[in-house]
Amino acid sequence: MTPPNPGTELSPQEIARYSRHLIMPEVALDGQKRLKAAKVLLIGAGGLGSPLGLYLAAAGVGRLGIVDFDVVDFSNLQRQVLHTTHDVGRRKLDSAAEHLHAINPEIEIETHEARISSANAMDLIRPYDIVIDGTDNFPTRYLVNDACVLLGKPNIYGSIFRFDGQASVFAPPAGPCYRCLFPEPPPPGLVPSCAEGGVLGILPGIIGCIQATEAIKLILGKGEPLIGRMLLFDALRMKFREIQVRRDPNCPLCGENPTITELIDYEQFCGIRGDEVSGPQLGSQWETTVEAVKARLDSGDDFDILDVRNPEEWQICHIAGAKLIPVADLPARVHELDSAREIAVHCKTGARSAKAVAFLREAGFRKIKNVRGGIIEWAHKIDPSMPTY
Amino acid sequence: MIRVVLPAHLRTLAHVDGEVQLEVKGVATQRSILDALEARYPMLCGTIRDHVTQQRRPFIRFFACEQDWSNESPDTPLPELVATGVEPFLVVGAVAGG
Ligand SMILES: [Zn+2]
Repeated sequence: MTPPNPGTELSPQEIARYSRHLIMPEVALDGQKRLKAAKVLLIGAGGLGSPLGLYLAAAGVGRLGIVDFDVVDFSNLQRQVLHTTHDVGRRKLDSAAEHLHAINPEIEIETHEARISSANAMDLIRPYDIVIDGTDNFPTRYLVNDACVLLGKPNIYGSIFRFDGQASVFAPPAGPCYRCLFPEPPPPGLVPSCAEGGVLGILPGIIGCIQATEAIKLILGKGEPLIGRMLLFDALRMKFREIQVRRDPNCPLCGENPTITELIDYEQFCGIRGDEVSGPQLGSQWETTVEAVKARLDSGDDFDILDVRNPEEWQICHIAGAKLIPVADLPARVHELDSAREIAVHCKTGARSAKAVAFLREAGFRKIKNVRGGIIEWAHKIDPSMPTY
Repeated sequence: MIRVVLPAHLRTLAHVDGEVQLEVKGVATQRSILDALEARYPMLCGTIRDHVTQQRRPFIRFFACEQDWSNESPDTPLPELVATGVEPFLVVGAVAGG
C-alpha cells in the first residue's frame, strides 16, 4: 500500500470527524492519513457497492472511484441502501455521489460511467491502489480478476446468492486469484443470478461490510487480511465458515507459466452468446407474441397457456387460466400436458420458456409456441395493472 | 452419518433445505460421499462431477475441515471428523451475485 504522502494533513474538522479512529492505536493519526491518501475503486454501485461506498466514505478513504452504468430501479431498493425512493430513474453514479458526499464532503468521489470491459478495465483500475469487486455476473468477475492480477492490484472479492455469501482477498503472489479457485465459470443458466434466484436484502450488507473491513485493513497495513482464506456465510443458519484457498501453480493467469497475459473476451470465455440470455433460438414457427395470445383469448380460441416460472413468481402475477409447471419440474410432469392441444408457453421474459419449448419439442410436442418477452411483456403491453418484479 | 453442505443452487435442484445427511458404505472418501449423494439425489448427477469423466467440474471445489481437498485423489480417506459427522464435507460453488 502506498504510504501517505508526507504532505497529507488532517484539518480540525477531519480530526473531529475521525476522532473514534484517531484514538485507536491500530489507526491513529498515521493510519487516518493513510486512509486519506488511499485510492479505492468500487466496481458496481449496487448491492455490495452500497455498504462499501457508505462505510469507505464515512471512514475517510480519500479518493473513492465508482464504476457503474446502471439506473436506480424500484427493485434495487430492497438492498441497495445507497439509493432512495427519490432516486429511482436516476443514474446510480449521481445518486451514489450525492449521498456519499452528504456523508463525507471531505473525500473525493470519482464517477466512471461505463460498463467495465476489456477495452477500458486496465485504464480504469490503474490509478487506484485497491479494487473492490461488487459486480453481479461471471464475465465481469473474471475480467476484474484478470485486470487486477495483470496490474498487481489487490482485489477484494465478495459474492452473494439468496442467503449465502463468499468473501476473500485475491492478491497473488501472497495468495490465490479467482482463477486459481474456479478456472472456469459455470455454463450459462446453471447457476442463477440474483435477478433470477433472488437475494436476501441484508446479505450484500454483511458481505459488503466484510469487504470494506478488508479494504481498511489493507490500507492501514494492520491485522490479518483475508488472503489465502475465504469466508463462507450462511444467513439461514447464521454461520460463518472459513476455508483455506491456495494458489494453483498451473493457474493460467498467476501460475508459473501463465498463458493469459492480456485481457480476453470474457463473454466468450463464459460461453455467453446472444442466445444464452434469451434462451435457445427456436425459429419463428415456434414463437408467438403477447398480442397474438391476447387476440386469441379475446376471440375465444381453444388453447392452453403454460407458465413455467416458479410458484413464488406465480404468486406475484399470472395470466388468468394459465397452468403452472416450473421448467425444472417439466420432465417429471410432462404427462400433465396434452400434445394434441395448442400450448402457448411463457415465463418471466422468454428465456426459460424457450428452454421449455425446446424440451417439449424433443418430447414430441408440435403445437407449442414460446411467448416472446414473457409475462413482463404482457404486463407492459396488455395489462399495465399487473404487478411486475 | 456424513454431513454434506451443498451450494444454494444445488440445494434448490435437490429440493433440500439445509445440510444433507448421508449413510456412506465403507470408508468415507470424496468418491464414496459423492456416489451416495448422487444415488439419493439423481438430479445432482453431472452438476458436481462431469457425467462422463466423473471429474470435479471446474466451478466446484471440495473442502473438509477447512482444507481444500479438490485436487486430492477421490479415494483418499477423508478426515475422521468428516467420517464421523462432526465436520461437514463442503461442496463450494462459484457464485457471481452482487
Ligand atoms: Zn491464479
